Amino acid sequence: MTEVTYDAIVVGGGHNGLVCAAYLAKAGLRTLVLERRQQLGGGLATSQITPGARVSALAHTVGRFRASVARDLDLYSHGLRLVQPHVRAVSLRPDAAPITLWGDPDQTASELARTSRHDAANWLELDRRVRAHASVLDRLMSLTPPDPSSPALADVLGALRVGLRYRGLGTADAREFLRVLPMPIADLLEDNFETDGLRAAVATRGMRFSSLGPRSAGSTQVLLADSAGNDGGLAGETVYARGGPGALAEALASAARAHGAEIRTSAEVAAVRESDGRASGVALASGEEIDAAVVVGGVDPKRLLLDLVEPEALGPQLGWQAGNLRLDGVTAKVNLALSDLPKFTGLDGDADRDRLRGRILVAPDLGYLDRAADAAKYGRISTEPWLEATIPSLVDPLLVDGAARSGVRHVMSVLLQSAPYTLRDGDWDACREELGDLAIRTLETVALGIGALVTARQVLTPVDLERDYGFTGGHPLHGEPSLDQWFAWRPLLGWARYRMPLDGLYLAGAGAHPGGGVTGTPGRNAAREIVADWRRRH
Amino acid sequence: MPQRYDAVVIGGGHNGLVAAAYLARGGLKTLVLERRHVLGGAAVTEEVFPGFRFSVASYVVSLLRPEIIRDLQLPRHGLQILPLDGTFTPLDKDYLWRTDDHGQSMREIRRWSPADAEAYEEYGLLMVEMARFIKPILGIVPLDPQRPDPREAMPLAGLLRTFSKLPRRQQTAFVQLMTMSAADFLDQWFETDPLKATMSASGIIGTFLGVRSPGTAYVLLHHYMGEIDGAFRAWGIPKDGTGGISTSIAEAALSFGAEIRTEAPVTRIEVRDGRATGVVLESGEEIQATTVLASTDAKVTFLDLLEGGTLDRDFEDGVRRFRFRGSSGKVNLALDGLPDFTCLPGPGEHLRGAISMSPSIDYMETAYDDAKAGRFSRKPYVDVVIPTLVDPRMAPPGKHIMSCFVQYAPYDLAKGTWDEGREAFGDAVVDVLAERAPNIRNLILHRQVLTPLDIERTLGLTEGNIFQGELTLEQLFFSRPVPGYARFRTPVRDLWLCGSSAHPGGGIMGAPGRIAALEVLRSRRTETARGWRPRWRRDGDVGPGDPASALPAEAQA
Repeated sequence: MTEVTYDAIVVGGGHNGLVCAAYLAKAGLRTLVLERRQQLGGGLATSQITPGARVSALAHTVGRFRASVARDLDLYSHGLRLVQPHVRAVSLRPDAAPITLWGDPDQTASELARTSRHDAANWLELDRRVRAHASVLDRLMSLTPPDPSSPALADVLGALRVGLRYRGLGTADAREFLRVLPMPIADLLEDNFETDGLRAAVATRGMRFSSLGPRSAGSTQVLLADSAGNDGGLAGETVYARGGPGALAEALASAARAHGAEIRTSAEVAAVRESDGRASGVALASGEEIDAAVVVGGVDPKRLLLDLVEPEALGPQLGWQAGNLRLDGVTAKVNLALSDLPKFTGLDGDADRDRLRGRILVAPDLGYLDRAADAAKYGRISTEPWLEATIPSLVDPLLVDGAARSGVRHVMSVLLQSAPYTLRDGDWDACREELGDLAIRTLETVALGIGALVTARQVLTPVDLERDYGFTGGHPLHGEPSLDQWFAWRPLLGWARYRMPLDGLYLAGAGAHPGGGVTGTPGRNAAREIVADWRRRH
Repeated sequence: MPQRYDAVVIGGGHNGLVAAAYLARGGLKTLVLERRHVLGGAAVTEEVFPGFRFSVASYVVSLLRPEIIRDLQLPRHGLQILPLDGTFTPLDKDYLWRTDDHGQSMREIRRWSPADAEAYEEYGLLMVEMARFIKPILGIVPLDPQRPDPREAMPLAGLLRTFSKLPRRQQTAFVQLMTMSAADFLDQWFETDPLKATMSASGIIGTFLGVRSPGTAYVLLHHYMGEIDGAFRAWGIPKDGTGGISTSIAEAALSFGAEIRTEAPVTRIEVRDGRATGVVLESGEEIQATTVLASTDAKVTFLDLLEGGTLDRDFEDGVRRFRFRGSSGKVNLALDGLPDFTCLPGPGEHLRGAISMSPSIDYMETAYDDAKAGRFSRKPYVDVVIPTLVDPRMAPPGKHIMSCFVQYAPYDLAKGTWDEGREAFGDAVVDVLAERAPNIRNLILHRQVLTPLDIERTLGLTEGNIFQGELTLEQLFFSRPVPGYARFRTPVRDLWLCGSSAHPGGGIMGAPGRIAALEVLRSRRTETARGWRPRWRRDGDVGPGDPASALPAEAQA
């Protein structure tokens, strides 16, 4: 075969890998993306649940995706269409009225006022503060973290940009920012709301995909990060990509190709090749070897450092640290094909249909969330897990239009926590179906009879997430979002600037700052650093 | 004609006494007012049962600042600290026993896991280095990030510089200590469950957190910050109990000319035109003072002792948000003999140190889960000390006292009251002990059970929190007790905080009392001094963030 050489190889065609590749190609580097699976997008995929019915495989909303990236890569002309219902979330409770969080804070507040004026007033105030605080975090997220040992001028400037935004908060909010950042989300919400159901509904945003409980320090930071750079506010974002999340991946791929990047699927990278301390390319599982001066990992840091790089290259200290990275997942995913729209407790069919277009939460109270998270500590699946579900077919009917004759009217995408990657007894392959039943049993508490409507289901255990999607430990965020794996120490202190121990090796995945979620920011930040290094060298 | 003092200190706990001693030493006419009949607050020794004297509340000492011992010449005033050697963790059949004899500890750990023994060395060294780095923080005034004072920013800048020069692994360790859970942090080094559980225990003491809660790793350091007569990481029992410390500090204060009155409960802090002018006692007696220092906790000081309306809403809300959530109890036992542990029968050296009921991480975490559900741990973590083995005069000949620190005992119970639950709680503790040392049941002559409620009632510690407010990330340094007021100053001019509610927090450290007193003395000097001072420190300035700005307008006028 002809010897094509590339400037850069991106390992992993997840959304961050694709974003990075697109920016690299845009900057003129001959870039190749290698994806192990047949499908691009990693966790950002649309999968067929039954013939003609498609559903978000893992992530179900894309509202955190950085707007500037979408603009830079002109994703809209590459077919990206976003849909934002004006409801954000509804929390369904077996024996209480649902709590609806709308995109418009005033609407939320006016509904809350029916049960508590106190909560209604504080909703507006806290929503305002969350937006203010999140805007500081947003600045922080777009930075390349400084090197603690040798801060450069650029770092000082970056610090200034964040500092200015921080000063801009004004004394009261600024003090509050430093106070709440390390706080348990439960404490923050107990300070502000008296309705436990409301507390719980919001608290889930500090726990999503993470083993943090509502009373774990740092969960507030997770919520703020979730609202950074989008108009999530306190209610959180809910934005769908038309055609399922996979559509965003396709738009990214098409943009990358348009800039000249090449993309190969079903191409599993087995190793990063090095010659005298520099990354020199990759070796595929097929044995094929491809050269490139720059190798970028869109995969998680454990996979990159421990599986793809030679141990000698790391040295014992770094190897030990990488081995200690905390990325054991607690999230499982259950996707359902439904013969009809279920009846939900406290919502009467068509009148309230709008309320179901956002995230549907089964998280009745803080104690419930606490217990659900606790189970994971002992390596057990929670008997009462908390759920975040969406019914994308409500906003995007085309998802099921091919399945009308097979009697599928809707698809439902359900995130379930906690389901720890490491079970103390039993293994996941044995309890996969049990997990699916558990999800449905839990849904039954707020949607009586939903079980009878299920015509097909997909169950993704943490182990499946590892096997099928390559998430080490089944952690969709490539590592806990907690404060000990954050900013200048994500993934590891001194290795947060996207440059990895080998010259020319970079990390562009969610394991790097600012972390997981469908933001594209790690990929964008990494590309910025890679191009800078590249220009310095050429 | 009411008497007049330069400084009145509310509360004769160890911090109040330290502050008083420094103020008197600085030449101020100082008066200490203690509500109870004994001095010491939580560092107090009382003859609970005839012939049996207990360190009723806090029972060991390690972090008492050496500069205080020096400045106040405490040894000359009777301070004597006896070494408390080792930690013994009894299990069903086996045990884990570490002493200050390094070789012995290494052999013991190697018996469990050679890998852990190796890691233990490295871990110890790293932690000592960390402690060295972090210690200065215990001695500085937390700056207000909103209006940084150069004088206060300096030591921080120095700290940052030192940090940037640290080797990477130490930088990493520091970040992890500040953010991780004790269990996660230790998991990186060790595999032996009882070892991890026993070490992690220090991370949860006094807080409403579990060993798996982020933010608990930091307290692991305290074990390596401990310093007695310059000997690193030593733990000790003060002669005559923790009250012995308080007495020696009181002696020192008196020798510098301070006055001390017990059974003199303060009911109100007098405030005129936004300035504290003195205090009023329960007896109605008025005492005037130029400066008032409160070693009482933030809630008592600001919400109970100050008249409503003195402070503005935001500050008061800040105080209300300050979390206490007492989580620990204390069981003091008078024993007829020594406990006999099935895993290591007979009396011996292993009883002379701390005896830790912490068999596994899960055991600790389960105890916490109980607390979260609003009930005391059915199988609590218990830290046992038998002071009579090092200080026999605490009990009649042949008899012993046993001090049991217990977690968890949440102040707020989901069901029932502590007055109903007190004895059941005591029984739970005895059961846990009896599991490993069955003979204990027959040895118990008397039993004193202190629930968080009792601690609040007798010692005046809100919600029974032994640290005058949880030591969690959001309540440390410039956020302790209220963001913007971490500099010992309060919204009321001439009213200062000098207890554990202030930086750097609880434990028998004396640091808050010392730094507060030094700040008071400094501000008095600068007030009389001529010459330039930063705008926001000038008298009469009530710009945003300045303490006085938290006063209602009329009070500022």
